[in-house]
Amino acid sequence: MRKSSLLLLMLTIVLSFALVFAGCAKKAAVKETAEEKQAVAEKKAAAETEEEKAAKEKAMKEAELREQERQKAEREKAEKEKAEAAAAAAPAAVSPIAGFEYIYFDFDKYNIKPEARETLKKVADWLNAKENSDYNLVIEGNCDERGTVEYNLALGERRAQSAMKYLANLGVAKDRMSTISYGKERPVDPGHNEEAWAKNRNDHFVVVKRKE
Amino acid sequence: MHGWGVQVNRFKFFLFLAVMAFFLEGAVAPVSSKVYIDIDSPSMQKFPIAITDFVKQGGAADRENTSMWFADQLARALKITGYFNIIEKSAFLEKPGQGALTSASIRFADWSVIGAESLVKGSFQYSGRELSADFLLFDVIQGKLIAGKKYTGQIQDRKNMVLKFAGEILYTLTGERGVFDTKIAFAGKKGRISDIFTIDYDGSNLLRVTNHKNLSILPNWSPDGKYITFTSYKNANPDLYIVNSGGGREKKLSEFKGLNLSGPWSPDGRSLLLTLSKDGNEEIYILNTQDGSMKRLTYDPAIDVSPAWSPDGGRIAFVSDRAGTPQIYIMDADGANVRRLTFEGNYNTSPRWSPRGDRIVFESMKNGNFQICTIDTNGGNLVQLTSRGRNESPSWSPDGRYIAFVSTVSGRAKIMIMNSNGSNMRVLHEGMDNYLNTCWSPHLNFD
Repeated sequence: MRKSSLLLLMLTIVLSFALVFAGCAKKAAVKETAEEKQAVAEKKAAAETEEEKAAKEKAMKEAELREQERQKAEREKAEKEKAEAAAAAAPAAVSPIAGFEYIYFDFDKYNIKPEARETLKKVADWLNAKENSDYNLVIEGNCDERGTVEYNLALGERRAQSAMKYLANLGVAKDRMSTISYGKERPVDPGHNEEAWAKNRNDHFVVVKRKE
Repeated sequence: MHGWGVQVNRFKFFLFLAVMAFFLEGAVAPVSSKVYIDIDSPSMQKFPIAITDFVKQGGAADRENTSMWFADQLARALKITGYFNIIEKSAFLEKPGQGALTSASIRFADWSVIGAESLVKGSFQYSGRELSADFLLFDVIQGKLIAGKKYTGQIQDRKNMVLKFAGEILYTLTGERGVFDTKIAFAGKKGRISDIFTIDYDGSNLLRVTNHKNLSILPNWSPDGKYITFTSYKNANPDLYIVNSGGGREKKLSEFKGLNLSGPWSPDGRSLLLTLSKDGNEEIYILNTQDGSMKRLTYDPAIDVSPAWSPDGGRIAFVSDRAGTPQIYIMDADGANVRRLTFEGNYNTSPRWSPRGDRIVFESMKNGNFQICTIDTNGGNLVQLTSRGRNESPSWSPDGRYIAFVSTVSGRAKIMIMNSNGSNMRVLHEGMDNYLNTCWSPHLNFD
């Protein structure tokens, strides 16, 4: 440790000297070119013709246009970033299975409730339809904010697994389905009441087009 | 440790603290067996201590008001322990910065009359860039020096000088060194993103360890404090990672399909616990850090999750819903002899075993909200420590004297610290949208 720190110190000293010298040399060079330019400009100004004036104006106009384009590009970039940020914040564009992309669970439970069966049937039918055969399904398991991070991650995994088993029984090929648990970390509703919690105890079905 | 392929961070903070025994008054009395503060006593009274501004010596100017800074920082460090009553400077009879520094010249009567039982004095000197400081602890009643240290370093080392002597004071008065050289790791959430952070035990020095722009959760320190393991969704699956605890290089350790939940390291650092759902069922596994081999510990169709070591590494507490609700169980380190620990209530999770071995802290649902509780390892003596708001994710300090946890009152989350009996609550960090897990570091020895 002592040796390496000594080396580090020496290296730092050498580097800082090098930087100081490099800085000085650069400054001197910059100054010289500036003086040269000035001299040239003075000479040129004396011999300026109408033609040159026109060319100058043209150049200025072009510069103006370039500046406008640059600003436009910047605006577009900012808008694109904003849109991306918004997309990241709320990734759900309209899902092809909108209307049947969620099923809900009771607190600390992962059994499929009777009222979820209809939704699961719709999901299975959609996936089993010939025109959707190139889609896979990701089942996201979610929980409400109460309870441990770890236990809720397990619970969310169970909720996703329950739906996957149910869908497999309805004929959806297992290799088209995968699960991911977000535990209580991705609530649909940020509220802290039973109404919000009920919404947040869910499986979220996301269909993804298979890459060729 | 080399098996990880993770390089030890060589760009450590270079500390050149020359710590010497201090023989100002001949010989400092050896630390007597006298216990000034009995931390374990249920009727423990806060110990009255006076800390004077330090005396500047030598000709160099007092840069950055070091005289008061030493006294104030030492007072702050001692106050946080919850064991001390710091006597206000305005009550002092001695003129500030003018006081005597030897037990022969100190007027101890001036200190006992204002209620001080201990007195801290000190002096410091700048020479060039070097700062050296003498820290002295006196027993006011007996009128003698009971601890003294001289520290030498740069000005930026002065915080560590204070914390080291705070440790000396605590050791002299209680027989324990405290947690002045520890940090707390946690997952902090901003919007939909969470990252792993560390912060010093006193709430200073916040450091971001991960930057995955995703969910990073469940930090666990290696027993040498060099690494943190955690779970991250960076690659669209909750995988297990290891990173230098100061941030920087990281490596994926396991990426089974489904959950790869980070659990605690064994006390000897040779293995760590994790929860995997690769077989469609959450089970607890033990990962050998030396050869990468893995062994399954639980075999139950129910959820098994949240494992925690006993301090001797012989047993493991964990959560299972095998009886219908999540409860805490204990098993031997090889998975044998499973027995249920908690029976009260229908939601008991997040067990962590006290480093002292005698208690397990966990969170329990009480009237629909979660509260921090502790229980003996045989299931007796259940105590509820919190009652306000929702309190989760407890973690013990390495001396078993304090518990860090996440507290949410009126929707606002904070990391709090309390003494292990529930007293002396203080805020460690607030201001992020949410906090998910806390994990207290081992002793870091001011690295």
